[in-house]
Amino acid sequence: LVCCPDTAGMPPPPPKRAKQAEPSSDMEEEEEERPSSDADEELSGSDGDGDSDSSPECSSSDDDDASQEMETVQADFAFFDPKPADFHGVRLLLKTYLDSKPWDLTGFVDLVLEQTTVGTVVKMAEDEDEDGEANGGDKSDDDGDLFGLITVLNLGRYGENRCIKDLKEYLLAVCGDKDTKEKLKSLLEDKASTVGLLVCRRFVNFPYEMVPKMYDSLFDEVSWATEDEPTQELQDSFRFKQYLLLVRILERKTPPKQKAKNNKDEDEPVIYPKLEDEIFRELSSWSFTFPIRAEQSAQQELKNYKEMGLVMCVKADVIPKFRKKLEALVSE
Amino acid sequence: DPVLCYVVSVGIQFENNCEVGVFSKLTNAYCLVAIGGSENFYSTFESELADVIPVVKTSIGGTRIIGRLCVGNKNGLLLPHTTTDQELQHLRNCIPDQVVVQRIDERLSALGNCISCNDHVALTHPDLDKATEELIADVLGVEVFRQTIAGNILVGSYCAFSNRGGLVHPHTSIEDLDELSTLLQVPLVAGTVNRGSEVIAAGMTVNDWTAFCGSDTTATELSVIESVFKLREGQPTAIVDDMRKSLIDSYV
Repeated sequence: LVCCPDTAGMPPPPPKRAKQAEPSSDMEEEEEERPSSDADEELSGSDGDGDSDSSPECSSSDDDDASQEMETVQADFAFFDPKPADFHGVRLLLKTYLDSKPWDLTGFVDLVLEQTTVGTVVKMAEDEDEDGEANGGDKSDDDGDLFGLITVLNLGRYGENRCIKDLKEYLLAVCGDKDTKEKLKSLLEDKASTVGLLVCRRFVNFPYEMVPKMYDSLFDEVSWATEDEPTQELQDSFRFKQYLLLVRILERKTPPKQKAKNNKDEDEPVIYPKLEDEIFRELSSWSFTFPIRAEQSAQQELKNYKEMGLVMCVKADVIPKFRKKLEALVSE
Repeated sequence: DPVLCYVVSVGIQFENNCEVGVFSKLTNAYCLVAIGGSENFYSTFESELADVIPVVKTSIGGTRIIGRLCVGNKNGLLLPHTTTDQELQHLRNCIPDQVVVQRIDERLSALGNCISCNDHVALTHPDLDKATEELIADVLGVEVFRQTIAGNILVGSYCAFSNRGGLVHPHTSIEDLDELSTLLQVPLVAGTVNRGSEVIAAGMTVNDWTAFCGSDTTATELSVIESVFKLREGQPTAIVDDMRKSLIDSYV
């Protein structure tokens, strides 16, 4: 007797254009000497920019084997439409989207998975099984296979979903400043049908070279949807005027110490775990931060920082500028 | 005998984690619940169990993942070497006297991931120390078998069993199911919890009269759990309202 997971009753997705040339980047993985499991793969850039920082968090290699102890393994990543079998992987990525207080996270995950026309998950290229996942498959259903997720949800279209209601309530609750709250309220209420909640989640060591491709994929799909969706109403639902983002940043707790010269991170007042969030913040119409209540990371390097939430409103017409800046940043 | 009430509670989350079995440890004699998380999590256990067995809030080694770090039954409770003196004392104070609480020196310190047991039998990780195996037999009063489940060595993670039945990893073969069932002397079924999760012991916790499952658990999964753990033999009772509302209509 094998218990198979129920699939939520989902309507068949509208026909869509093929995902743009799956950018399976050939990433080199370094297997470090510490014992590693499948979930522990270190990912590094293969462009050999000569940065030989070999800290566990981020290491990059040159193409010539400068480091003989480390093996390099080829890994191909590819972009896929979200599908029901991605439930656990997506849930894992979204678990800390809001704070620790329970909300309809499962409903939110289901929403992301249902919107197949706009939205991308990043997995290893071999993972896609043409036969589908109905029989559970022979491979192990490893949550670690899903490395990243990007999507945008129309706050008006999904306004009646419990998860979106929870989210709106949460954002209003954490917004301290009165004026910003007015703007936020307007965005969440009367302007909701023109607002897209942009969600991008990925593991910390996700190769940064793929990030611009994720955003390209997203904005291309949004643009296609305005033509390809079956009804006028659905097409219009992708003509976003604004994007709303909720991300995490690290703010320095105490003023900089003089002797912090050796560790350059300690000089930074703000650390952006996702590099593009800094660009979004620069280009945003408004933004606010708020403290995160959940248990803070115990990482030694980050003990002088506290985790904060950052909410940003970015006008749709600055997106081309964002994409240029992101591309420039990544190619540095 | 206490009045037995067969309940399967759902809608449980610990800070958006459906991994009930990570943040709790349930036996026939006591229940441990992790500190932190909303009062809701603790009070769900308390409201179901407090009349019958003590429900104790604790941490282990300063962490909240208590369900994965300890193993116990009505005879004893084994704690990893990372347990602090205060935690050990606290547990000894709150748990019934007849339960032997012992901190052990095993390298594989996530005892809950490595060992699974009921009041009579234990399954352990194949590489567990011989000394630990003896302690398990002594303190928990069980017969010990080194096993794997569907090829996994973390037997504590991939199954959950009581004195009445058990649920194991969905990919367990029929032969293995038969073998395990014979060792454990209880009926077993291969299945999932929390909407297809294979990590059974993380997604649920169970004793002879109650099971607590994470809120993503589907109606199909629940019916399998109720059936194999024989949780429906009494009066049809107390299924919390939330569960009724969230029952999905489709069955495999």
